[in-house]
Amino acid sequence: MTNTQIQAVRPRPATPAEVAPRPSARDRGSRLLAALFLAPTIVGIVVFTVVPIAGSIVLSLFHWNVIDDPSFAGAANYREVFGDSTVLVSFRNTLVFMVFAVALQLLIALVLALAVNGRMPVWLRSVFRSAFFFPLVLSAASISVVMKYLFNQDFGVVNWLLGLVGIAPVPWLTSENGAMTAVVLVYVWQQFGFSFLLFVGGLNNIPKEIHEAASLDGATGLRKHLTVTLPLLSPTLLVASVVGIINALQVFEQPYVLTNGGPGDSTRTVVMFIYESAFEQLRFGEASAVGVLLFVLIMAVTALQFRLSRRFVHYQ
Amino acid sequence: MTDSHLTRRTLLRYGAYGAGAAALAGTAASWDRLTGADIPGRDDDSLVVATLGPAYGPEAIRTLTDGFKELHPDIKLRINAVQAVDWSDFFAKILTQIAAGTAPDLVYVATEGVQLFAQRLGVALDKWVKRDAAELREYFADVHPSLVESMMYEGSLYQLPVEFNAADMYLNHQVLGRAGASFPAADWTRDDFTALLRDMKKSSGSQFTPYFWTNRLWGGVVPWLFANGTNLLSESKAPGGAWLWDDFYPAAERRGRGGGFRWTTPQATDARVEEAYDYLASLIQEDLCTRPEGGNGQNLVGVFSTGRVGVTPAGGFWAGGLHLAGMKATDYDVQYFPRWRTQRMQFGAAGYALLRTSKRQEEAWEFIKYAARKDTLMRLFKTNQTTPARRSMLTADRYRETGPNHWQVFYDTLDKFPDTGPIPAPPQVAEVEQVLLKHTGTALASRRAVAPALRRMQSDLEKAMERDV
Repeated sequence: MTNTQIQAVRPRPATPAEVAPRPSARDRGSRLLAALFLAPTIVGIVVFTVVPIAGSIVLSLFHWNVIDDPSFAGAANYREVFGDSTVLVSFRNTLVFMVFAVALQLLIALVLALAVNGRMPVWLRSVFRSAFFFPLVLSAASISVVMKYLFNQDFGVVNWLLGLVGIAPVPWLTSENGAMTAVVLVYVWQQFGFSFLLFVGGLNNIPKEIHEAASLDGATGLRKHLTVTLPLLSPTLLVASVVGIINALQVFEQPYVLTNGGPGDSTRTVVMFIYESAFEQLRFGEASAVGVLLFVLIMAVTALQFRLSRRFVHYQ
Repeated sequence: MTDSHLTRRTLLRYGAYGAGAAALAGTAASWDRLTGADIPGRDDDSLVVATLGPAYGPEAIRTLTDGFKELHPDIKLRINAVQAVDWSDFFAKILTQIAAGTAPDLVYVATEGVQLFAQRLGVALDKWVKRDAAELREYFADVHPSLVESMMYEGSLYQLPVEFNAADMYLNHQVLGRAGASFPAADWTRDDFTALLRDMKKSSGSQFTPYFWTNRLWGGVVPWLFANGTNLLSESKAPGGAWLWDDFYPAAERRGRGGGFRWTTPQATDARVEEAYDYLASLIQEDLCTRPEGGNGQNLVGVFSTGRVGVTPAGGFWAGGLHLAGMKATDYDVQYFPRWRTQRMQFGAAGYALLRTSKRQEEAWEFIKYAARKDTLMRLFKTNQTTPARRSMLTADRYRETGPNHWQVFYDTLDKFPDTGPIPAPPQVAEVEQVLLKHTGTALASRRAVAPALRRMQSDLEKAMERDV
């Protein structure tokens, strides 16, 4: 290659006209306005999310009991956590709870959304939508207090009703399986309304023509839902499952009020462990370490969901 | 397509809006208005007293505040009623306030937290008690030394007890009548108790449970451990305390007293502990009692007052509760906890603890004395929502309306059984209580589950007690 050729392929200096134009006053005003509108949200996220997360990570490296000054502990809190069988049981319980609660929540919400989306007077549809959403606006702690009465083995309404049909009293809150079942049922009863509303919205977004075309091709009933509705609803399912899993992994009020984590540790969840370690036993460093691990778990599960969604979620 | 750029005119308009908003905000800011500093007691040099919210309703708070104002018009007082479901929840919230830098000066602390607060947060009252000994002589003469001793830690006094509750047995007369049983004698035994439960069960339907108990440190398994002559943790007395006993109590009453209790070595695998658990497991197996539940027995008043429960352990606090639930004085009664190997009973007491961080310690001491006065307690405990620490307040007149007939049992639990003691509550109480509740739940799943669960309890208690608070 000759020098002349090299020179020929060298980029020539840009002329003043080709340099990116400086933003006009109008552009700067527009950007400033956008920044002003975004500022409250960004400040909120930084103050209430980013700073506490960073604070927890830092605190997980210290021993701190609120009363005395924190002392640096390095990885000691993490070693303590990994050697504590209660922590491992709490994570196992939380994962078991998450699997059953989210599956049941999505299933009930989907079935009811399909039912409500069928032929029905508009006013009745509105009644159902409000009724299914209503538990979500109630306090989880208050609901759990009421449910604790209902599920009481000796005096509860649930066992009284079961007794009417000849079923012996179930130790809902005092046996390991019964306690987890009761916690899942109470949680799902309160939470499914959110997924239900998402599904109703998602179903309304599916063009009627597609269903009509499927009908013309001979698809009916369940087959039509499996082959047409579900694939087209998969983006909504993804959102509902992501939100559902994140919430379920942070469950606290229901097991705390209903069973106090018992019997034994059978319903002790990770967030319950964090609360007890920090605010009852004054082990804020260890509690923060468990909090960091839960954060990592939630991030990992969510990332996995989005990765899997490439194969299972169909966007129109 | 819309133009995303702002025109100069629009920008000017937004600018004008912004200036207008700023002017309005400035005007509003210049007006007199309520701010955080206007909350009574905040940053105004008030003496702040934190109490357990549910125990101190608005009327009680007014009573406390007005009475104190009359005596000490120069001291501003704020009662901070902290809402909590139980003592451990209450302590958690107080500790959060301390962490946030808004520590109260005084905290109402029950036995569960006496040693935790004394060890880490409290100020010993010794110097003030010695200084004002003449004024306090009447108080100590009226308060059982066991209650005072339960407020001592390593030789020093940290609180003046104002109330206590011993775990006695409440019995429903309607259920007793149904079973054809008579009210038990004061010296009834564990076997009498079991026989009574069986009689009650036979004469009642399937929706009836003879004995109800709640899984907690106070009134749960612990009274049975005491009755069987054992405890969850080995119990001893700290040296010291003579400065108080010698000055305020006669020789007969100060015998065996020390500088407060020490709960040290876990003994969950002790044969007598296992025996007590085994006994409770057998009651459950026979359907004579409820399985241990978490929580605080919220539904207990309802099921007892409607005759769906026959017997339950509770303190003087229940007299007021049952009265409110519609029970007449003749509908129920109270008896001592049944004898097993011993008839030692358990109690929990409460009083005000002074925090080290307080800058108003002299004023706080004045409040402590005021809160322990008889006239204050008479006004505060009108409805029998607890047992007053002062013996002279327990009179027939006090219990005429609410009952029970054997109201003397409440204080006689201390007077007639001098070895009656506080629930085991070392500084590591939060973890100890959690371990106790957790393993009690699994231990009582069946009689075979008792021994393995107690072994796990022992191991967890050892870890808990090794841990520095």
